[in-house]
Amino acid sequence: MSGFAAVLRKDLMLEMRSGRSTMALVSLALLVLVVLVFAIDSSVARGPEAAAGALWIALVFAGMLGASRAVLAEMENGCLRGLLLCPIDRATLYAAKLAASFSFMIVALAAAVLFTVLFFNLEFSGALASLAPVLILGALGFSALATLLAAISARARGGELLLPLLIVPLFVPALIAGVRASTVVLSGAPFSAARGWIGILVAFDVLFVTAGYLLFEHVVGEE
Amino acid sequence: MSKRLHNLLGGATLVSMLVALYMVFVWVPTEADQGIVQRIFYFHVPCAWVAFASFGLVAIAGIFYLWLGGQIWDDLGCAAVEIGMLFCTLVLITGSLWAKPIWGTWWTWDSRLTTTFVLWLMYGGYLMLRAMADDTPQVAKFAAVVGIVAALDVPVVIVSVRLWRTIHPAVLVTRQGGHGLEDPRMVVTLLVSLAAFTLLFAWLLMLRFSELRMRARLGTVAREIALARFRAGAA
Repeated sequence: MSGFAAVLRKDLMLEMRSGRSTMALVSLALLVLVVLVFAIDSSVARGPEAAAGALWIALVFAGMLGASRAVLAEMENGCLRGLLLCPIDRATLYAAKLAASFSFMIVALAAAVLFTVLFFNLEFSGALASLAPVLILGALGFSALATLLAAISARARGGELLLPLLIVPLFVPALIAGVRASTVVLSGAPFSAARGWIGILVAFDVLFVTAGYLLFEHVVGEE
Repeated sequence: MSKRLHNLLGGATLVSMLVALYMVFVWVPTEADQGIVQRIFYFHVPCAWVAFASFGLVAIAGIFYLWLGGQIWDDLGCAAVEIGMLFCTLVLITGSLWAKPIWGTWWTWDSRLTTTFVLWLMYGGYLMLRAMADDTPQVAKFAAVVGIVAALDVPVVIVSVRLWRTIHPAVLVTRQGGHGLEDPRMVVTLLVSLAAFTLLFAWLLMLRFSELRMRARLGTVAREIALARFRAGAA
């Protein structure tokens, strides 16, 4: 487990010192929300339903950028080769990369929630606390998929185009469940009302964290 | 041997397809409520069957590729996904053509439609991956991994879309309740059509697969020739 801690510590330290990824993610989440506010008339789209949708659009866009950053950064100057030479197995490397991009996404999401509350005239209330597990599950599932797929798309021509083409369709079930659960929670209903949707999110996360953990060794490594 | 199997399979496909066409357009009685449009059903369902079978084959080929290795499995996955995409597109088109007169709309976010569409998007991404990464040596591994991940996603998509549609109020009542296959001839026609499309699937798969195998062999031969030339020059 020390290999996991070392790689995660490296990524977090790098981020603490430069702040590049999180700043980019927070700005992107903000801009997506701004675009939505202008694109959809506020007299039509308001309340928890619109806010939940906006939040998840921000999650998908910020997540795509964050995942490709976390992997692309390793492509520069042959960093990936250095990582692969470390005496760590590939699955541990995956777990560490997943943990890093997940924490960047959480920072961006916290900012996105704040902006959403302001832009969509929501209340700072207990509903936001029960929104947290929904978003954490969503971010975990997204980074699980994205870490695996970004390792693939980083090798392809025009990889930054390929990543959304692969991720978005695969993320559809979690997106549906996440938006529904967020709507339920934001509209003030008890958390248990969203149980079915939370179940789908948990299943999605378990499935793709496991799949990524087992399959990652096939997508990185000897060229 | 392979050549004979080719001809046999091609001939069987042709004959069964002609029989199916005759049954669909002439022999089977017209459905009472929906009229002539309902006949598209005999193409729609076999297309869906072929598409789903192909996507299943993509996942199986991916598992075997990662497990045993070998270009053969990658070629199988490549051939299967192309056929799957073709028939998945046909499912969406024939469904749309049927839905316009019957449901009054080309498209509705019914659970089956949505699931099929999401599958179409997923395997479209898989095809893009094959196209965009075809010059990297690991493209076969990448494709195998994405093929497996996509197959894992299918049950979650089905469950989430179903739950989404039952909770969301349906604008149109879109259950396909009662295709009304009361007449036994309808069932027979559907079965014959299914058989014809399965043969077509096998034939197309074989054609594309053997073409990919030939391409791989050609690459090997070209490398051997280049090596022989190099040795002759060095001697």
